[in-house]
Amino acid sequence: MENVSPRRHGFYRWFVLAFIVLTVVAVSFFPPVRPHILVASEHITTSPLFTLPVIGSVYLTNTMTTLLVVDILILLLAWAVHRSMSKGGLMPGGVAGVVEAGVEALYNLTETTAGRYTKMIFPWFATFMILVMFSNLIALIPGFEAFGSLERVKAGEHGNAAIQLLPGVMAITNQPGEFVVVSWFRGMSTDLNFTVALALISVITTQIIGFKVQGWRYIFRFFNVTTLFNKPFFGVMDFIVSVLELISQMALILSFAFRLFGNMFAGMVLLFLVASMVPVFMPSMIMTFEFGIGLIQAFVFGMLTLVFMSQATQGHESGEEHSG
Amino acid sequence: MEGNIVLAAKFIGAGLSMIGALGAGIGIGLSVQGALEGMARNPDTYGTLFTNMILGIAFSEAIAIYCLVIAFLMLFVL
Repeated sequence: MENVSPRRHGFYRWFVLAFIVLTVVAVSFFPPVRPHILVASEHITTSPLFTLPVIGSVYLTNTMTTLLVVDILILLLAWAVHRSMSKGGLMPGGVAGVVEAGVEALYNLTETTAGRYTKMIFPWFATFMILVMFSNLIALIPGFEAFGSLERVKAGEHGNAAIQLLPGVMAITNQPGEFVVVSWFRGMSTDLNFTVALALISVITTQIIGFKVQGWRYIFRFFNVTTLFNKPFFGVMDFIVSVLELISQMALILSFAFRLFGNMFAGMVLLFLVASMVPVFMPSMIMTFEFGIGLIQAFVFGMLTLVFMSQATQGHESGEEHSG
Repeated sequence: MEGNIVLAAKFIGAGLSMIGALGAGIGIGLSVQGALEGMARNPDTYGTLFTNMILGIAFSEAIAIYCLVIAFLMLFVL
């Protein structure tokens, strides 16, 4: 029982020291490789999965495999919670307790903003938040983007030489050569397709919720002709403002997509560059920073969706007093 | 030689595009200043002020992120 007695400086700091020493040893044997950074996600297969008439060929990219892994993780989590809940205990324990606390916090947050439309808005808000959070955090698992298949670079591009570690297992070195690693997994938010899809879903669903709550009257948010004829000057102003609102909804798609993409892609580039230049101890600090950024971006994405959806449920009558 | 000039122009363009981060930095600083002053005067409003501050920071940060995306496009795509 001596091992569990409280110590002044915990026992685990020796693990930290051991890992730092291990990193120094590993770096001296395998110097870090200059990363191969691409904005577009890489194709894993050489032949397309299927071909659509207008869009073209669809390849299996490394962000799609990550999406599969994240989906399976979320489904497993939901299954674990379901199994724990169906036991009938009043106090959910373990994973289910954590999930219940999180969902309850999210629900209360939705209730303070959305009011009586909470039941309509909460599923979208929570889904966006959980999916973006998982997809941001899963990319921080060490070595997540390090494994992949070797491919030859095109002529004239930068590549690295490859050596054989084990039979069938190769590693690239920092010597110039003609190989590059196409990793099997890559953080989903570093792919513009994913973020644009989420932004489109968010903005279009916002309009659907607006029409559902306010009926056809919701169109006055974008083409406000209600006061055009009885108030000559301010009616025209209201109309112009409402058309600006339409344009700002379009800009919202861009803003949603590029905010998530830019933050996560910048984080990935920062992590790669720092890990290749200062491979000892610095990457862990950057990873801690990226953990916070990933959480905040997931929170911001969900929160903005929530705010815009609850704005869409509020009619023009309530917005009139601060417009005049 | 021409290739080198194009490469140099790429790097210069990427650097110039990041000037836009200046405005976003000022904006984030101002919004945090306002929120902190509000919290210092009335500590009870910490929760709502913090949430709104994060939202405001995200909005002004988006401007800097646009510049960053342009810089990345210049460096890695074009």
